[in-house]
Amino acid sequence: MIKVEHLTKKYQGTTAVDGLDFEVRPGVVTGFLGPNGSGKSTTMRIILGLDHPTKGRATVKGKRYAELRDPLHEVGALLDAKAIHPGRTARNHLRALAVSNRIPYSRVDEVLEFSGIASVAHKKVGNFSLGMSQRLGIAAALLGDPEVLLFDEPVNGLDPEGIRWIRDFFRSLANEGRTVFVSSHLMSEMAVTADQIIVIGRGKLITQGSIDELTATAKGTVFVRASNHQQLLAALKTHGGETADANDEGIAVSDLTAEQVGQIAFDAGVVLYELTPQRASLEEVFMDLTSDAVEYGSSGVRHES
Amino acid sequence: MNRDVTFGSIVRSEWLKFRSVRSSITGVVVTLVLTIGLAALITSVIRTHWSTTSLASKATFDPVSSSLVGVILAEFAVGVIGALFVTSEYSSGSMRTTLTAVPKRIELTLAKLFVLVVSMLVVGEVACFASFLLGQSIYSGVVPTASLSNGPTLHAVIMAGVYLTLLATLAFGLGLIIRHSAATISVFVGILLILPLIFAFFPQSWRNAGQKYLPSELGRAMTSPSAVSHDFGAWTALILMVVYVVVIAAIGAVLFNRRDA
Repeated sequence: MIKVEHLTKKYQGTTAVDGLDFEVRPGVVTGFLGPNGSGKSTTMRIILGLDHPTKGRATVKGKRYAELRDPLHEVGALLDAKAIHPGRTARNHLRALAVSNRIPYSRVDEVLEFSGIASVAHKKVGNFSLGMSQRLGIAAALLGDPEVLLFDEPVNGLDPEGIRWIRDFFRSLANEGRTVFVSSHLMSEMAVTADQIIVIGRGKLITQGSIDELTATAKGTVFVRASNHQQLLAALKTHGGETADANDEGIAVSDLTAEQVGQIAFDAGVVLYELTPQRASLEEVFMDLTSDAVEYGSSGVRHES
Repeated sequence: MNRDVTFGSIVRSEWLKFRSVRSSITGVVVTLVLTIGLAALITSVIRTHWSTTSLASKATFDPVSSSLVGVILAEFAVGVIGALFVTSEYSSGSMRTTLTAVPKRIELTLAKLFVLVVSMLVVGEVACFASFLLGQSIYSGVVPTASLSNGPTLHAVIMAGVYLTLLATLAFGLGLIIRHSAATISVFVGILLILPLIFAFFPQSWRNAGQKYLPSELGRAMTSPSAVSHDFGAWTALILMVVYVVVIAAIGAVLFNRRDA
């Protein structure tokens, strides 16, 4: 399992990770979610001992990464799939990694086969598509049959078949009792891949929990159609209901439950045609949570005329 | 089964990495071709013009250094090999993959150095002995020749290979510090070519005192069978060169260990 304690990373002037605390448990797929530039990759690099934290620490199975005696047997990681010497063949790339951790060459052929790139193993990595590089990165992560696996944006560049393959693959890794930590900036992807979610923004922890917990805490809306919308709107307003989206079709009410809306309509003498509680989608939850923490938001763009 | 990462397992990994990219293989071939080829060319020219060569030139003629002239070009080839062995890991980003497999950075640096030193020593000595023997066989019968059974001659030929190895290691250390292929090779070339040019503008007394500390001058001192005026002796030159290389490589290793990858 992975433990991150009070982790802070500052690069000249900017704070990439700011007092982050979380744990990643075995047996489930944990999604690591945040907008671009929120500090996900930095956190992963620190967990892997590539970057040194300014404060705090990150440990894998109780040890800092640099203290691991047989790293590839403990942790498998896919950071940047294209970060491979382009002039080396896929097989030689994996063999060089394997031999450093005393993994037999037979295992290299196994992971090449499993990742579906055995037929291009003799080709130079520089000619690989992003999808093939992702598969090679996954093969490398699996070399030492590790208990802990980290994947940074693994879905990038994969075709739909590859995306389904990787989802099932994460699931099976978790079912085997492994710790699976997957980062993404796409909530929709995490919704179908992960069991647990850790959300960060601007380097800070925003929330963590199961998918169900997250959607439950989100504000829902109630969609209502009635005989007299004007009258109902006025009544809802006096009871503190927010009616963001009102037109002839109906009214979307937030800050009030379906029961309250029904009661208000009854008291106002308005006939209801429809009363539908609408749960926020995970995507909306995510947008809501991270709206303050988007590093490069589009709202800041000013159009000069 | 013991599956810990050991120095031996890192060395095997780095050796596989070294020989599985084209730049290393090309570098080795270029080193051999330049050194031996230039030896063949220069010694042939000297042989054909020997009958018309002045007596004064004949008196100072050195069959050893004239056959090792290709070392001047091989210097740059081995420098590129040494630099790329580390900087290509930064330009491709593969350093991160390497460090997830081998997080102990000082051990990694030492293993890389081991692979580089052994392979460059083999390449350097093969290049220099082949150049020497080819040169003497071309001279044979017309121009005076030297023999490896002569102590100073053997010493000079061995030192030429050692000098090339040290230069490759120097470039490797610069690569650890600079982390950028083109910049590293530029600095390396600057040390070998530009520094002596700058020295040429200094007063004679400064030159006599300082020039002998330049790596290129140390190389000349190491590979000369006879002592050159204002220069160090071969052993002193070797020690100074080793000190340079160790200092640069040590600074590189410390920075590598401290910096983010």
